[in-house]
Amino acid sequence: MQMETVIFTENDLAKYPFLKDTAEYMKKLGLKIEELENPEMAPILDRAQERVKEAILSLGVGKKRENHVEIPSFPVAIMLAIATKNSFIKKRYALAEAKQAFSDMQFENNERIMAIAADFDWNIALNRDLTVPLEFALSFIDYLRNTTHLRDKNWKLVNRLLANGKVYLNKHDVARLLQEEVQHRIEKKLEAKELPNFPEKITVMAEHLLELAREKIGKQEMEGFPKVVSQSAFPPCIVALYEAASKGRHLSHVGRFTLTAFLVNIGMPPEKVTELFKSFSDYNERLTRYQIEHIAGERGSRTQYTSPQCSTLQTHAVCTGSDALCRRVHHPLTYYRIKLRQRTNESPKK
Amino acid sequence: MASREFIYEKFADYYSNSSLNVPPPTLMAQREFGFFLLKERAMVRHKSFMGIKDLRRFLSDTVPSDVYHSCAYYENPSFEMDKKGWLGADLVFDIDADHIPTSCNKIHDEWTCGKCGFAGKGITPETCPVCGGVKFDTKTWPCELCLNSAKEETVKLVDMLEKDFGFASKEIRVFFSGHRGYHVQVEAEAVRTLDAMARKEVVDYVSGLGLALLEEQAPEKPVAGKRRRRGSSVFSLHDFGWNKRLKAGMQKFILNATRDDLRTVGLRSYALLQNREAVLSRCLEEGRWNSVKGVSVETWRRIARHVKELESAKIDTVVTTDLHRLIRMNGTLHGKTGLLKKEFPAERLTSFDPFVEAVAFKGGTAKVSISDAPEFRLSGKVFGPYKNEVVELPMAAAVLLVCKGRAEVAEK
Repeated sequence: MQMETVIFTENDLAKYPFLKDTAEYMKKLGLKIEELENPEMAPILDRAQERVKEAILSLGVGKKRENHVEIPSFPVAIMLAIATKNSFIKKRYALAEAKQAFSDMQFENNERIMAIAADFDWNIALNRDLTVPLEFALSFIDYLRNTTHLRDKNWKLVNRLLANGKVYLNKHDVARLLQEEVQHRIEKKLEAKELPNFPEKITVMAEHLLELAREKIGKQEMEGFPKVVSQSAFPPCIVALYEAASKGRHLSHVGRFTLTAFLVNIGMPPEKVTELFKSFSDYNERLTRYQIEHIAGERGSRTQYTSPQCSTLQTHAVCTGSDALCRRVHHPLTYYRIKLRQRTNESPKK
Repeated sequence: MASREFIYEKFADYYSNSSLNVPPPTLMAQREFGFFLLKERAMVRHKSFMGIKDLRRFLSDTVPSDVYHSCAYYENPSFEMDKKGWLGADLVFDIDADHIPTSCNKIHDEWTCGKCGFAGKGITPETCPVCGGVKFDTKTWPCELCLNSAKEETVKLVDMLEKDFGFASKEIRVFFSGHRGYHVQVEAEAVRTLDAMARKEVVDYVSGLGLALLEEQAPEKPVAGKRRRRGSSVFSLHDFGWNKRLKAGMQKFILNATRDDLRTVGLRSYALLQNREAVLSRCLEEGRWNSVKGVSVETWRRIARHVKELESAKIDTVVTTDLHRLIRMNGTLHGKTGLLKKEFPAERLTSFDPFVEAVAFKGGTAKVSISDAPEFRLSGKVFGPYKNEVVELPMAAAVLLVCKGRAEVAEK
């Protein structure tokens, strides 16, 4: 490629410690896990703890220190997050680091951005076409890998300038997509399967962080679905599918899957779902039960399937058009959850 | 019964012919194969073959009516689904006349209510008008209008794959499906690992779903140094991707629009027609969308919506997003027609004639008793229409009618 190799400085690594060069830096440093207990390591350990703590509290990573503390504090923070064995902390830490990188990257020149992108093996070039006021051209494959879960419709490929396999982007958008890549890389690092024996200090810190996280999660407690299935809280797409099914009208494969997964997800027992499909003219009890139990995770790969999100239903023409609440949500299950909550709030208390 | 044996015999002849050339799929050892067997009338899946010779032997031994292989590549293609070890998949598109509104209105298709036996022609209704039944037996027909519509959609799709997605023409493989449509397969290495969500975005792109029409043209956030606040209705369309398709489509619409066209789009003012030149230069070229009196941004939105419908390619969405899909194998017979799935270069799309080039049975004749068949063309000859008659036909025509359930073999 046309990359004039930008060599990352220590300042760069302090800002973007997730870069591959950090490994080289750490190798030279020769830091061993047991040495973390040494008093001269305290600033590094302290900074590492701050990184994770700030992530839990405010989705930040705290203020930067001198390079010789800042750079090694990143791998130590990773270890710390792993030591908590807590998925909320891990997710949040990865996101916080990625967000920090995003805000720093916006001040970089195009060459540095290109160098960071190259660290992630992106197929990207500076745009030489003067008729397009956008500085970068990124392969649509790399683009899609980092945008499919972003919800704003501006990120949809159909709303981008796509020519010759390249998506034209400005620096802000490239930095935003690199944020996704950073988050992904850090999440991968945090997946560590076998855990080392952590030094005492690390274990203690991890305990503290866990406590902090518990306080935080407590506030945004996950709600399950109530036992009773409430048809009047179904979103329009499910209402349509449900009615079609009970009248024995033909449903597309995606339609059947959506309805089944939705009903199973909100807690309808598989036997009752089977019942619903009985009126189908091509009904086959054994097959239907098999499929439903498969979706419910009682067979096969044992994963319980979740009903598809709104955008998928739009693609396959299962979405029936939306009401006011639909426009606020991205998933039929969220619709159901909100509607249920609204109705319990509205119902007169005795 | 005789008819089924007839088909078996013909298909068996075809697959046992030693000079037959069935082209091997790319990396065939990593693909799963599936067959619908004629004798057993059953689907067999999870087969794998090391080479084309093994597959050829299997075809002539078992005589399937339909042969499929996975778009996916697996570590162990013959293992059960969860254990196959997915390595990647081609990017495939299926364009089927069933999914496209066509000018023939499917008048050649027949349906019969499974409950009361009431029958009719055209698009199958949701419920039987007599008894309200919902299960129908259908007899479809691969008509020229249907296949031409499918071809037009394929042309648009291939154009997007080349110009927008940047695939080289040798990476885009185009096939006649053997029945009512076309398959497009992209086997470029870069696309193999696209996940289902990424493929869904490709589908949405091709079908124009979610396209922001002149509301918030997303990408043009002000660039540093050019911080000029533009009015919300002033922006020009670029000469790339959907921008270009919209622009060209709108240009064409304005140049050719009649009052009827405007009404179809839902416009009641004809201001647009009085000053086409100004409309084209000021609005479309300069991007000052509401600079002509009587032509509002809403007018443009309606036109854009209409143009989007014309320019998008109507594909079967589920085929493209399915990472494990089985697709008919190139060079094999279609059980519903006896025609071949046939590859041809994308450049030949407009001139490709499925009723000549996909014909598999080239010699001999057979006498068939035809219940009902529309006029059709095969290998350059025109046949029918037929109604309750016994006719001696060239083999390919006889096989087609029997496969389609429109005729029985008269004598052997």
